[in-house]
Amino acid sequence: MGSLYSEHRTWLHAVPAALKLVCLALLGMGLFVTQQWPILLCLAVVCVGLFASLGKATARAKPLVMGVLVAGVLVAGFHVVMHQPQLAAVTVLRLLSATLMGIALTLTTRYTDLLQVFEQVLSPLRWLGVQSDRLALQLALMLRFTEHFFVVWRRLDDAHRLRTGKAGGFKILAPLTIQMLVTARRVADALHLRLRR
Amino acid sequence: MGEFMNTSTLSLALVSLFAALIAVLGLIPKIDLPLGVPITLQTLGVMLAGCMLGPKRALQALLLFLAAVALGLPLLSGGRGGLGVFFSPASGYLIGWPVGAFVTGWMMTLLPNRSPRSSAISAFLASAMGGLLVVHVFGVVGLVNIANLSWEQAIMGTLVFVPGDLIKCALCATVVHTVARGLPDWRFGG
Repeated sequence: MGSLYSEHRTWLHAVPAALKLVCLALLGMGLFVTQQWPILLCLAVVCVGLFASLGKATARAKPLVMGVLVAGVLVAGFHVVMHQPQLAAVTVLRLLSATLMGIALTLTTRYTDLLQVFEQVLSPLRWLGVQSDRLALQLALMLRFTEHFFVVWRRLDDAHRLRTGKAGGFKILAPLTIQMLVTARRVADALHLRLRR
Repeated sequence: MGEFMNTSTLSLALVSLFAALIAVLGLIPKIDLPLGVPITLQTLGVMLAGCMLGPKRALQALLLFLAAVALGLPLLSGGRGGLGVFFSPASGYLIGWPVGAFVTGWMMTLLPNRSPRSSAISAFLASAMGGLLVVHVFGVVGLVNIANLSWEQAIMGTLVFVPGDLIKCALCATVVHTVARGLPDWRFGG
């Protein structure tokens, strides 16, 4: 399971993950402070310029950017039809700025660096019983079994096709769930033995 | 102590593996209803998590899944991921998933689970409350705040997806019924 991270180095790759997250959080809050479309337009121009400065690294994110554009056009079209062009501008400029910066962060920050920041942010919650150091283990398990269950889904689908000549569709969801629950019990036993040390 | 450890590792495994199942449901192609309304299976994963795992583990599974999405993994249907998706007009629905799973699980603990049939009926009701109503409430709040729609417009917009979600509630009930027969010792609702 590959991350959306781009190996094509840009200037933003050198900025620490924590700093990028703080900037994104501040931008997210700042965008909702103002309703003035000229201010939001200036911010959007800066965000688009910053995103464009990443050059070839943005190629991986083309489908995501297209999704943002389609959502923006739909929302803007709706507000224009309702005779609220200023609201359309405010909404689309916010959407564009925040989403492009979110994508830029994802493209230029390694999954492990972000995970480290997440663990640090969550560490004060230890007294509430949240074990932030287990997050990495849980994510690793999740990714390992996403591929495993997809293979299981394909196998169940193939078996259903052989039996009936039709795709399994929703009918194989129950056997997949049962396999998942049985696997979880086996994995729990293995983890119990390993973590007991 | 051994029992406690085993429960703890079982929780860890169930949370991780269910998050993986939700990710797999995003890889399965969407099904288009008449009128062009798409059904993606990930909301079904939210309902199933609540019914199978109970409130606490279901909440953890959905938070883990969303953490993986935030870290940049393309796990949402259509290969979407990264922090950008949390700023989109549909982000309210995403934020509603953990709460919806929690409410579904909580409802399952309150409703009867004595037989496969009663478990299935409970699963339908719990999914309709948590996976449908709660998620849509969050979705509407997101549409109002991010897409700047009025409450009426947002509610009308979200109603289009309700028929598809009711089908998912029925699917969830069917899966729970099959699991209740296939794994009779499984405790629904945790």
